[in-house]
Amino acid sequence: MPGQPSDWTFLAMAAPFVAAALAPAAKRAFGGAAGWVLAIVPAAIFLHFLRLVPAVAAGEVLSGAVRWSERYGIDLSFRIDGLSLLFALLISGIGTFIVIYSGPYLKGHPQQGRFFGFMLLFMGSMLGLVLADDFLALFVFWEMTSISSFLLIGFDHNRMAARRAAYQALVVTSGGGLALLAGLLLVMATTGMGSLSEVLAAGGALRASPYYPAILVLVLGGAFTKSAQFPFHFWLPNAMEAPTPVSAYLHSATMVKAGVYLLMRLNPVLGDTVAWMTVLPIFGGVTLVAGALLAVRQTDLKMLLAYTTMASLGLLVMLTGAGAEGAILGAATYLLAHSLFKGGLFMVVGGIDHEAGTRQVAALGGLAREMPITLAAALGAAASMGGLPLTIGFFGKETMYEALAHGSGLAFAALFAAVIGNALMFAAGFAVAILPFFGRRRAPNPHVHQGPAGLWLGPAVLALCGIAAILFGAWTGRSLLLPATLAIAGAASGATVSAAIHLNLAFALSLATMALGILVLWRLAAIRGAVARVLAAIGWGPDRGFDQAIAGLSRFAALVTRTIQTGNLEMYIFVTMAMTAIALLVPMGLFDEWPSWPAFAMPSIAETAMILLAVGGVAVVLGTKQRLTAIVSLGAQGFAVAMLFMLYGAPDLSFTQFMVETLSVVILTLAMTRLSLSPSDHRSVPEFVKDGIVAIGCGVGFGFLLLAATEAPFDSRLSDFFAQNSRAIAHGHNIVNVIIVDFRGLDTLGEISVVMVAGLAILALLRVRTRGKADEAGEGA
Amino acid sequence: MIDVAAMPNLTPVLAEIMLTAGAMLLLMFGVFTGERSTPTVTGMAVALLAGAVLVVALGEGTSVTFGGAFISDAFSRFMKIATLVASAVAIAMAVGYARNERFERFEYPVLIVLATTGMMMMISANDLISLYLGLEMQSLAAYVVAAIHRDSVRSTESGLKYFVLGSLASGMLLYGASLVYGFTGHTNFEAIAQALVDGRSVGLVIGLVFVLAGLAFKISAVPFHMWTPDVYEGAPTPVTAFFAAAPKLAAVALMVRVTIEAFGPVTADWQQVVSFVAIASMLLGSFAAIGQTNIKRLMAYSSIGNVGYILVGLAAGTQAGVQGVVLYLVIYVVMTLGAFACILAMRRRDQMVEDIESLSGLARTQPFTAFMFAAILFSLAGIPPLAGFFAKYWVFLAAIEAHLYGLAVIGVLSSVVGAYYYLRIVKLMYFDEPLVTFERMPAELKTVSALSGAFLLVFVLFAAPLVEAAAVAARSLF
Repeated sequence: MPGQPSDWTFLAMAAPFVAAALAPAAKRAFGGAAGWVLAIVPAAIFLHFLRLVPAVAAGEVLSGAVRWSERYGIDLSFRIDGLSLLFALLISGIGTFIVIYSGPYLKGHPQQGRFFGFMLLFMGSMLGLVLADDFLALFVFWEMTSISSFLLIGFDHNRMAARRAAYQALVVTSGGGLALLAGLLLVMATTGMGSLSEVLAAGGALRASPYYPAILVLVLGGAFTKSAQFPFHFWLPNAMEAPTPVSAYLHSATMVKAGVYLLMRLNPVLGDTVAWMTVLPIFGGVTLVAGALLAVRQTDLKMLLAYTTMASLGLLVMLTGAGAEGAILGAATYLLAHSLFKGGLFMVVGGIDHEAGTRQVAALGGLAREMPITLAAALGAAASMGGLPLTIGFFGKETMYEALAHGSGLAFAALFAAVIGNALMFAAGFAVAILPFFGRRRAPNPHVHQGPAGLWLGPAVLALCGIAAILFGAWTGRSLLLPATLAIAGAASGATVSAAIHLNLAFALSLATMALGILVLWRLAAIRGAVARVLAAIGWGPDRGFDQAIAGLSRFAALVTRTIQTGNLEMYIFVTMAMTAIALLVPMGLFDEWPSWPAFAMPSIAETAMILLAVGGVAVVLGTKQRLTAIVSLGAQGFAVAMLFMLYGAPDLSFTQFMVETLSVVILTLAMTRLSLSPSDHRSVPEFVKDGIVAIGCGVGFGFLLLAATEAPFDSRLSDFFAQNSRAIAHGHNIVNVIIVDFRGLDTLGEISVVMVAGLAILALLRVRTRGKADEAGEGA
Repeated sequence: MIDVAAMPNLTPVLAEIMLTAGAMLLLMFGVFTGERSTPTVTGMAVALLAGAVLVVALGEGTSVTFGGAFISDAFSRFMKIATLVASAVAIAMAVGYARNERFERFEYPVLIVLATTGMMMMISANDLISLYLGLEMQSLAAYVVAAIHRDSVRSTESGLKYFVLGSLASGMLLYGASLVYGFTGHTNFEAIAQALVDGRSVGLVIGLVFVLAGLAFKISAVPFHMWTPDVYEGAPTPVTAFFAAAPKLAAVALMVRVTIEAFGPVTADWQQVVSFVAIASMLLGSFAAIGQTNIKRLMAYSSIGNVGYILVGLAAGTQAGVQGVVLYLVIYVVMTLGAFACILAMRRRDQMVEDIESLSGLARTQPFTAFMFAAILFSLAGIPPLAGFFAKYWVFLAAIEAHLYGLAVIGVLSSVVGAYYYLRIVKLMYFDEPLVTFERMPAELKTVSALSGAFLLVFVLFAAPLVEAAAVAARSLF
């Protein structure tokens, strides 16, 4: 029924895709105002989700589903609880300002329409990802975010660096996506549960599963690559090749948070185990410290922010793994705070770049007078990033310190990492907010302005939100953060979110963080140099590792092809025969069913002579250098075998063998003598030995098989049948004759036809030969 | 006097009779009217195959004829229709090429029709003898087709290699078949299965391994894949397109029927062999393809890898697995034909180009071709929501349900590596500077690539009927 909340939600999920398709047309129709027009879509989506806040805050979980594939039980279903709603609001809310911002930022770019399309495509994928309930739908949206981010990073595709970054991001994140798929499939196969709702409702079923370690590793593989955790972080800084709106949206506020979203989402069912509470804090903590250290060494403002994003993601992963409810509340708060301040700071940097023409710290200064609103927005965002009082960032930091301070062991290490990381991020945040605006006036572009409204509106609003969120802390807490905590931790107490300052250990740690941060900011140049020296001393990083892995893959592929695909027919036959020998001998060895050696019976003189002739024939084939000798000797061996058949009472078989041998000798002689191939054996001694081993292996294998076959009890049904029926049906006394001309008359006809066709072929060969000679003679004359 | 009651029922083989008679008539027509009859023969051959599709589609139920040697059931009808369509498309795609390369031979469509008859025999084979007959009929026609460009050294070399290795494989198959016959006393599939219910001897396992080895050669699975890259590269491109599509369908269908119907009771034995071959094929297919610079060789490794994925479904040995195999085959054939339509369009200055690098910047010079090729490549890489993703998903799911976790995991990993080389081509087409400009794409190739791309793109929306048909086909084997 139209008008139901679930219908509106489906509409909201579909709207970005429709808008993406219409974006190029909108660009043509509205020109410079297209950004403002297209922003209506995310704004409307934002309002829709805002409308759902009271219901979700009251503890309701909204859901809806349509059948996608009946046969495979795949639903296009959504599930909205506190966590999804918080994400949906961030995606649509920040998305609105990003779309507006993209208008003036890419003004005059010939492919701006396409850019809007990609952006909205991404928005739709990301919304789908956080709302999806069905595992497969989740995975599809997950990969769609990877693909749309590929398109956005590589948007400036005329530059090599952008192409490489796009490609690298795609390989890393969609590779992780496949690990996630494997994990989800494993969940589905072992528990039969195909959606988040089912898994969440089943409680500890996954933890109890014997496949828990495998599921955990695969899911973490997906989450860590997407959320740029060390050592998979290298793609994120490289992705800064994208236009700044992309960095502000995807690589700070949304896409990279998808991994964090997944971890938070699955925390109730995968978390609370030793593995979870060890792996997450360690990877998160290392990412936090490494990201923050790498951030302060950057001189490009955007790169600096990129590394702090990596650090923040590490912090979120660390807190998610800490398990304590306070840590989860801290994570939820920090998630909100980070999206607001980082999106804002990126847009600030983009604005500076757009106006002043550079993002290099050293080339910028004294812009405060020309860009006052930008400065205000930057200071507001940096205050939240640094965790100064009266910002939402402050509350997040206090909460996490409070929770971590009461733990022990690993939690203490996590607390230490959090203090160090926050201090460095404090420095990085204020470096962005202060260095370009104060000091001596310098910028490559002399005519710096505040710029159009679209460029400063977003950062200003987001900075204000960061402060408003704490001023109206009671509402934020009740409506957004506590429902999200409930969804992540599975329980939430009634903590109050407020701007109040409590004089406790956490506040002391906050003061220490700020003091350390100011120290770092003051000695920034020295620390930058020190980090750079350490990195130079290490001289290797995952980014180079990625290139080496890709190059190694190519080299390995080339090696494999060179070794096994030489184009040499001899080699191919060698492999086939070797496989034959293996197929013959290995099963016998595996099942230990070697044939037993039969009792030795003295052969008659005739038999001995024939055996000697056959062996002699083969020996000559092996020994001779002459092609013709080899063919004739092979024929002699064949005739000897045919004689053996005769001696053992199989005249029909013997007859066929004689025919075949005769024909092959004639045809081979005709063909081989006509071809002017070099008569010598070009093989070296090792090759000769190698071929010999395979030949002997095959021979021994076939011999053993024959022995084994003769050991099987004799099946006399056929013999009995012919003995009974030769007289009665075919009126013949000689069973062999009857078989050849009567019971298997059609076979005999077939054999005769084959011989006839072969004879015709020989005739044709002979005629070709004479004609060839005639041609040569003609040319000579 | 012919006993009417002893006359075999010919209704199930109507399509095969029609094709055989038609092929001979077309051959006669070609011989008597000479090279200029090629367009007529080509058109008639396509019409003949289309007629056979109708005849096959009209059949229903399961019927057996020729003393149990030939079976017509839902599985065979499904695979036959797919094979006939693939062959017809392969003939149609050769038209422009033959005109441009000046090798208009009427034998080509006739040989394809003969090979297709062999394939239909393979699909319907219910007996070791009819299996071999079908296989050889298809192979002999294929050897000749590979070398049809008589004046080209590459083409004749590939034909010779194909022939030598192919006859080696046929020998192994025959050897295995005679062992199976020797140890069970039967050639009929149901009778073999019946004889195996009470257990099996080692000799039978060896026979089974040889039969599988012979079949592995035909579907170019590792370690019997060596001919594939050389033949794919050496044969004229439309021939390669043919090799990559219809024969794969028939050989895999044959392999499915042999393993499930005849060797169902010894599933545990062949499962190991098929799993090994699947793993080796997937790994080789994905790793060896990376270093390729020739697009046809790349497609050869791609086909080796895809055969590996198909065998993952077979290794499961379940109805879901067979259904996955059937769907994978159809989707794979659509992708392959589409890809070759794009490859056939790579011409400049009256010459075929096979260098992957020359696709650079295709998006700018020929946006339509580039878009279709990109859709096909994304699908080959298994990116959702394109059809190729679902193909992989179903076979991996079947493997997981059969508790073959290792196989599924290796499959997923190697498809990640595989995605690398498919996506590299997309990158070349969309992000690199154009190096060469190709000639305009002929209408028939445009149609094939557009149909293929459209199928892969909208498969997700309209998959239900095909999935249902595949389910019916798979059910008929269990």
